[in-house]
Amino acid sequence: MFFEQLGGNLIQGVVLGAVYGMATMGLSLIFGVLKVVNVGHGAFIMIGAFLTLFLFSSLGISPLFAIPVAFIVGMGMGLIFYYTTIRRLIKAPELATLLATFSIGVLLEELIKLMFGSEFRGYNWVVGKINLGITVLPMSKLYACIGSILIAVLLYIWFKKTRAGSAVRSVVEDSEGARVCGVNVGGAYALSFSLGIGLTVASGVLLTMFIPVGINPYMGGGYTLKAFVIAVLGGLASPYGAFFGGLVFGLIENGSYTLFAYIPGVEPFALTRFLSFVILLVILLIRPTGILRAK
Amino acid sequence: MRQIQKYFPIIPVFAAYLAMFLIAESMEGMWQLMSMLLFYCALGQAFNVFMGMTGYVDFGYVAFMGVGTYGMALSITRLAQYEFLGAWILVVGFGLALVMSTLLSMAVGAVALRLRGAYFAIATIGVNEGFRFLIEGARIWNGSEGMIFTADLNKILGRETAAALCTYWADIIVLVLAVLAACVTLVYMRGKIGYALTALREDEDAAKVMGINVTKFKIIAFITSACLAGLLGATAWALKTPYVFPPEVFEIHYTIEAIIIVMLGGAGTLLGPVIGGLVYGISKYYLSIFLPGFQLLIFAPVILVIIVLFPQGIVGMLKARTKGTGLERFIV
Repeated sequence: MFFEQLGGNLIQGVVLGAVYGMATMGLSLIFGVLKVVNVGHGAFIMIGAFLTLFLFSSLGISPLFAIPVAFIVGMGMGLIFYYTTIRRLIKAPELATLLATFSIGVLLEELIKLMFGSEFRGYNWVVGKINLGITVLPMSKLYACIGSILIAVLLYIWFKKTRAGSAVRSVVEDSEGARVCGVNVGGAYALSFSLGIGLTVASGVLLTMFIPVGINPYMGGGYTLKAFVIAVLGGLASPYGAFFGGLVFGLIENGSYTLFAYIPGVEPFALTRFLSFVILLVILLIRPTGILRAK
Repeated sequence: MRQIQKYFPIIPVFAAYLAMFLIAESMEGMWQLMSMLLFYCALGQAFNVFMGMTGYVDFGYVAFMGVGTYGMALSITRLAQYEFLGAWILVVGFGLALVMSTLLSMAVGAVALRLRGAYFAIATIGVNEGFRFLIEGARIWNGSEGMIFTADLNKILGRETAAALCTYWADIIVLVLAVLAACVTLVYMRGKIGYALTALREDEDAAKVMGINVTKFKIIAFITSACLAGLLGATAWALKTPYVFPPEVFEIHYTIEAIIIVMLGGAGTLLGPVIGGLVYGISKYYLSIFLPGFQLLIFAPVILVIIVLFPQGIVGMLKARTKGTGLERFIV
């Protein structure tokens, strides 16, 4: 009985973890290339969620088609924020970019609150269920999982096979060296930032499939914290590390929830959130470069 | 004389606080606004001790105010049965608030202060949420139900004294804390720690090479800032509004406000948080009358503009303007 429950929750954990991983790739990409921590990360996820909600409820567009729309909207937002603020702050002390991305996050939250109000919303996309014996998996979650894996693979191919991808990789390795070799470093920064934001907004679409009525202007805060745990698990600067970190985190979150549920007198959901914070501190304490990387 | 002159910059700060106090005492209906302004000035001063001096952003700062609030709340609710303690219960409360915020800051600092810049920010961003979920999840101190202790306060102090404490004396204690935070800031700025932290803020590696024990000074500033926050929470939240709920006292909103105040006024300056607190508090007050709910929507872009165009803040700009004039030694 217990193992069935644990097994079922772990399967759910892998499915959610893939989406978590994809939702963190943008954060890691931006940190890897620009050395900027996007403290407003969760707000961009929230934008994706509201975009899905709007497209689905008002225009009847399937969330699957919302993914490319969100990606393009996100890239546009990324370009705007890069050229208006981030570009001017790259040489400034770290404090400046931290506060700037934080303020961008607050700005987005307040704008959405102004437009849609602060109550919790949701949408109902019924596409059937699949019974795995020990757990029942809604097809929407499965689509989200497959979508995340596809996007991660596409990003991998883009990195390894295209000229722009190798330019970005060269900037990650050594931005001065890349500049000397004729790589347009400023362009790589702009591209990576907008790509990172695009991925993050698109991940907001996928995450809505796990939260039936959890769409709210301030929903991003929790995801920012989770994304940091995942990014740090994966070494912070590597998008693939982040993807695998997401899988690990999904397993930890759902596995620990199952265990906490057996302790009488506690609220298991709140404890899993506390655990993710503890994991963050422990990894930062013992191995800030991430535990999933060999080096 | 030079020894005394070093401390002249405290004069404008005290003048501002005195003016606020006098306006509150003499003008009808101004008390509420002034108490809010004092709270923001004190919050800014306390936050500035660490963030302004080191250049590290602690996104989980509100957690220290939260545990301070819990310190006072626990002392009042758990000790209310011992009647002989009387008003000393508040002293115990402040002591507990201090101890709890010190312990939390030591725990967080032990991990976070080993890390630099971005990693530090990442380590601290979850402190408030993490602590809140610990309290709610493990049902510590009544868990998510929180504590309401109006009745306990009434029982210990008598109804009238308790009412006076909430509406008058709590604000006076906030004023005392604001003054204390300003004094601590100036003493630090003028002492060895101030120079060490300035060196650290400019270039941490160079400071280390010069033989400065940067970790020690970072920890001192971090704990000081946390203790002030704890006391502020115990006063402005626990005493002024005698209840405590985890989602309210660990709300990241207050960290945002502290950042706005410090950046607006000028990080790392003595007068900055006061000016920032006044500007932010007054704008918030009038915005909440004319455009309720809009203050963050307006302040978020303001902060972006400040970071990009005027990173030194209002006082930083004043400092540059008054350089070489007689005002120079008052504006720090």
